[in-house]
Amino acid sequence: MKRILFFSTLLFICKIYGADVTFGKLIHAEQDPSEWLTYWGDYRATRFRNLKQINDTNVGKLRLEWMFQTDAPGMFETMPLVADGVMYFTTPDTSVDAVDARSGRLLWRYRYRIPKTAKYCCGTLNRGLAILGNRLYYLTPDTRLQAIDKRDGTLLWDTEVASSAGGAYGGTEAPLVVKDKVILGPAAGDDGIRGFIEAFDAKTGKRLWRFRTIPEPGEPGNETWGNNSWKHGGGSTWLTGTYDPESNTLYWGIGNPAPDLVGSVRPGDNLYTDCLVALDADTGKMKWYFQFTPHDTYDYDATETPMLLDLPWKGRMRKLVVQANRNGFFYVLDRETGQFLSAQAFVKTTWATGVDKNGRPIRTPGLEPTQKGTVICPQCSGATNWMAPSYSPLTHLFYFNVREGCDVFFSKPPVYKEGASYWATSARAEANEHQTGRVTALDPLTGKARWKFPLYSSPWAGTLATSGNLVFAGDEDGYLMALRADTGTLLWRVNTGSHLVTSPITYELDGKQYVTMPSGSAVLTFALPAE
Amino acid sequence: MWFQERFLVPSFTLLPLALSLAGYANAQDAPNGRALFEENCAGCHGTGGAGDRGPSLQGQLRHGNQLPDIKNVIVNGLPGTGMPKFDFDDHDLQALIPYVQSLSQKSGSGTHPHGDPIAGRKIYDSGKCSGCHKIGSEGSSFGPNLTRVGAARSYDYLKTSILSPSADVPENFEGVTVVDGNGKRYSGIRVNEDTFTVQLRLPDQSFVSFDKQSIKSEVMEKQSVMPSYKFEAHDLQNLLSYLSSLVGPANSTAGITEEPRLR
Repeated sequence: MKRILFFSTLLFICKIYGADVTFGKLIHAEQDPSEWLTYWGDYRATRFRNLKQINDTNVGKLRLEWMFQTDAPGMFETMPLVADGVMYFTTPDTSVDAVDARSGRLLWRYRYRIPKTAKYCCGTLNRGLAILGNRLYYLTPDTRLQAIDKRDGTLLWDTEVASSAGGAYGGTEAPLVVKDKVILGPAAGDDGIRGFIEAFDAKTGKRLWRFRTIPEPGEPGNETWGNNSWKHGGGSTWLTGTYDPESNTLYWGIGNPAPDLVGSVRPGDNLYTDCLVALDADTGKMKWYFQFTPHDTYDYDATETPMLLDLPWKGRMRKLVVQANRNGFFYVLDRETGQFLSAQAFVKTTWATGVDKNGRPIRTPGLEPTQKGTVICPQCSGATNWMAPSYSPLTHLFYFNVREGCDVFFSKPPVYKEGASYWATSARAEANEHQTGRVTALDPLTGKARWKFPLYSSPWAGTLATSGNLVFAGDEDGYLMALRADTGTLLWRVNTGSHLVTSPITYELDGKQYVTMPSGSAVLTFALPAE
Repeated sequence: MWFQERFLVPSFTLLPLALSLAGYANAQDAPNGRALFEENCAGCHGTGGAGDRGPSLQGQLRHGNQLPDIKNVIVNGLPGTGMPKFDFDDHDLQALIPYVQSLSQKSGSGTHPHGDPIAGRKIYDSGKCSGCHKIGSEGSSFGPNLTRVGAARSYDYLKTSILSPSADVPENFEGVTVVDGNGKRYSGIRVNEDTFTVQLRLPDQSFVSFDKQSIKSEVMEKQSVMPSYKFEAHDLQNLLSYLSSLVGPANSTAGITEEPRLR
C-alpha cells in the first residue's frame, strides 16, 4: 500500500512538473487557462483568457499572492511563460529562472554570462522565452539561440545567430516555436545591420531558412534603396511575430530603416522596413507585405503586435490582421492577401494627414527632422510600441496603451562604422510638454474608441483581457490596474513601485486564478484572498 | 526602434538623458566642436557659451580653463549643479574640449559680477529668502536649494529669477493648488504626480498627498510660487554677487538636481 502511495505521489509530481509542451498545445494555447505558453499567450496574440474567478465584482479584493525578487539590475521587459505549474522568465541580467507558479519559490536558475569579448547592441534587455517539448528557447542579448532543459535549467545546445564580434546585433525578442522550428529575428537595425528572420531546428539548433528583411541586388525590392543604402538598411525585428496555423503563415513586423531620421542617404521606399510581412512558416518565403511608413524618417517601426482576428468586415467574415502602429494609425488588413482595408489615427499625427485608398500615408509636405529640430507627432518612441494589446471576443474591443505627445526631431547624416550606432537621431520632448497616455478600447471594425482611460505619463506597459469583464493594464508610474472591459471604469489599482515595461499575464492552477506582472527587478503575482 | 532602448539608461533624469543621448547620437559624425556644443551644450549654456539657465562659459571657468579640467567636468558632471555626465566618445571630446576652451578665452560678463557679496548676504537675510531657500544646512527646503547656485546658474539667469521668477520655472518646482474633498485649499510645490495621486511640498516643509479621485480640483499655477522682488540697483547687484559666490563644496550632493519627477 505504501509502495502504491509512493508511486502515485511520484506520478502526481511528474504530472505537475513533467508534461511536455506539444505543437498541438501551442495551437490551442488560449483554450488552456492553466498555461501561458508563448510570448503573446497564443499564436494570434489576442491575449484574452477565459478566466473569471477574478471579475468586475470582486477585483477590488485582489492582493499580492507572492513576489519573486531577481535582485538583478536592468529593464524587466520579460514575458513569463507558465507551463505545468512552473513559471519561466529571463531576468534583467541574462539569467533564466524557473519558479513555482503557485508560490513563487525558485526551482532552478540558469546563469548565462555574456562573454566579456562579446559586443552587442542593446544591453541585457530581453523579452522572454519560447517553449516546446521539455525545452526552453532563449535568444540571448548577444544574439545566440540556446536550448535549455526546462526540468533543470541545463544548457542543451547553443547556436550563434549573428556574430557578436562586430558588435552590431542583439537579441531582445522571445523566439516563436512553430511545429519543429524556432523562429526569431535580431535587434539593432539602428546599428546599420541588415535584418532577417530565421528558423532553426528545435532539436539540433541547425539553421533551416532565412528571410532577409532588406533585399539584395537582384531581389525584388532592392530597387527601393538608392545609393547602395541597402547594405546598412536596418530592418530588425525586435519583437515576436504571430502565426496562423490554418494557413501556416507567420506575420512579422519589421523595424525602421537606418539611419533612422535621415532619408536623403537612402532614397526610395526602403522595403521591407516598417512593413508587416507574411511568410510561409516552412520555407520563410514571403507571401505578401504591407508597408505602413514608406521611406520612414521618424523611427516609426512596424514591430508592434500583428494581432490575428476573424471578424465580420462589412458584413462578411474575413481573416484580418490588425496593428496599432507606432506611426499613430490603427490598421486593418486582410491577412490572406495583405489587402489594405482601413487605417484610423488614434493620436495626434502631424507627419501624415491620413492614408490613401491603398493605405499609403499622405505625408505632410516638408515636415522632416532637421538640424535645428522639427516638432513632429507622434513622438519618436511612437504612439504605441512593444507593449502588448489585447482583444476580448466578449466586448469585441481591442485594448491598447497609447502614448500621446510630440517630439522635437533632430537629424544629421551619420557615417557608417561597423558595430557602432548608425542613427542620426536625437529626439526629445518639447520643453514644458508633459507626454501623456491612455488605455484605449477600440472597435477594430470602425477604428473608433469606445472608451479611454487617461494616464498621467506615456506608458510602456501593455494590456490583458479576461472573461471577468476586466482589462488589466500597466502605466509608466508603476501602477497595475484593472478596468471594466465594457466601460473602462477603474476597479482596482496597486502601485508596484517601478515603472512597468512589459504586459500582465494570467493563469489558473488548482481552481485559483493568478495575475502576474514583472516590475522593477521583481515578479509580482496577485490573487484573491482565500474565502 | 533604437529609441526604446535609450530608456535603458538607469537614470530617468530627463534633461541630462536627452543631452547625453544627443551626444551619443553624434558619435559617428565628423566631429566639429562648435556643432557638438550647439547641439548638446547650448541648451543650458547658451549659444556660443554666453550663458542661459547654466553659467556662461565665456571668461574664467569656475572649474578650470585647462583641457583636463574641462574634460573632467564634461565626463564626470558636476553634482549639485544640474551639469550631467556626458557620454561622448574620444573622437568627439577631442573636438569639443578645445572649443569650450576657446570660449573661455572670450571676455564675458557672466561669472564675475561686480558687487559686494557680504552686503548681498545682508539683503538675502533681510529679504527672508531663507524662508523658502536653503544654503548648506540653513533655511527651508520649500524652494530650490542655493548651496551651489553660483556654479549652476548664470548671472543673468539669477537676475531674471529674482525680478521675473515666472520666466523659467524648473519642472520640479511647479506650483499647484489642490482643493480637497472638504473644500480645504492646499498650495505648494508639486513634488510628484501620477495617474492616481499627487504629492505636494507645503511652505512649512511638510508633505501632503492626495488621491485624485477624492479631490475637488487640482490647478497648476501658471506663475512661479516665488514672488517677484524689487530692489535698488546696488542692492540687487550685491545680492547677485552673493548668490554667484555660492559654489559650495565641489563634491557636494546638495544643490540643484535635475530629477524632474521622482518615480
